[in-house]
Amino acid sequence: MRKEIWSQVKVGDEYSFELENVNRSHFVRYAGAGGDFNPIHHDQSFAEKAGLPTVFGMGMFTAGVLARVPSEWFGPTSVRRYAIKFTSRIWPEDTILFQGRVTRVYEEDGVSHADLELKATNQKQEDLIRAEATVRDWKP
Amino acid sequence: MAQIQPPGFPIERGKIHEFANSLLDDDPLYHDLNAAEAAGLPSVVAPPTFASAAAFFPDPNARGPSMKGLDMRFLLHGGQELIFERPLFAGDELQPEPGETKSWEKEGRRGGTMKFIENETIWRDKVGEIVLRVRNTLIQTAGVVKD
Repeated sequence: MRKEIWSQVKVGDEYSFELENVNRSHFVRYAGAGGDFNPIHHDQSFAEKAGLPTVFGMGMFTAGVLARVPSEWFGPTSVRRYAIKFTSRIWPEDTILFQGRVTRVYEEDGVSHADLELKATNQKQEDLIRAEATVRDWKP
Repeated sequence: MAQIQPPGFPIERGKIHEFANSLLDDDPLYHDLNAAEAAGLPSVVAPPTFASAAAFFPDPNARGPSMKGLDMRFLLHGGQELIFERPLFAGDELQPEPGETKSWEKEGRRGGTMKFIENETIWRDKVGEIVLRVRNTLIQTAGVVKD
């Protein structure tokens, strides 16, 4: 499980990927999987009545995709803490860049840890989420 | 302000598969029991934000007592903090326990007065150990927020 990462990781290391052309199906699929059926995320008429041009995505959809940065990088069992702040919304047709950077590498109780700063940014360079994560070399 | 008190939350393999797919995540440890067992794990792992689905588990239309009196048209999710004592695995049965709830108001630049509601849920496993703490912040705005 990505054991090799812990002997190599250093402050300043980066990891990123892009999600191109976000669409309403992403939101609907997340609604089904995660259970958030707030109509503002899937119902065009409801969104228009609330004064919006169209539906926007769940923050937890974007946050879930952003959590792939620590989980792909350090492994799904590594996440100790994940703290997110939503600053902007995700809209259909957005292209989102998901990025992470190591800010600290340390040992605690003999276990390797790293702190990461994370963000999701749209094609207009607006941050949708700023987040922090702590990952550790968790063993079963 | 009432506490969110959802009922127990079973962590299921099929639901993990569906949830990871919705995040376009094909990591075998979320999808493949053999891969998980080969890695020494009891079952497939739940993605970090999987437990967020617990708030909607009882009934997707009943949004929990803390949502009462809030206008769904102007409700924003401010943020969330998850603190894991260990990863969650398929087969876990989590029981929630309400933590602290706080609410406060702030003048917003974009949508008038904003009301913040923060509540904590502590999740314990079958043997009563704390596995996860979730702190969630909701923001009720006075009207439409312009990005």
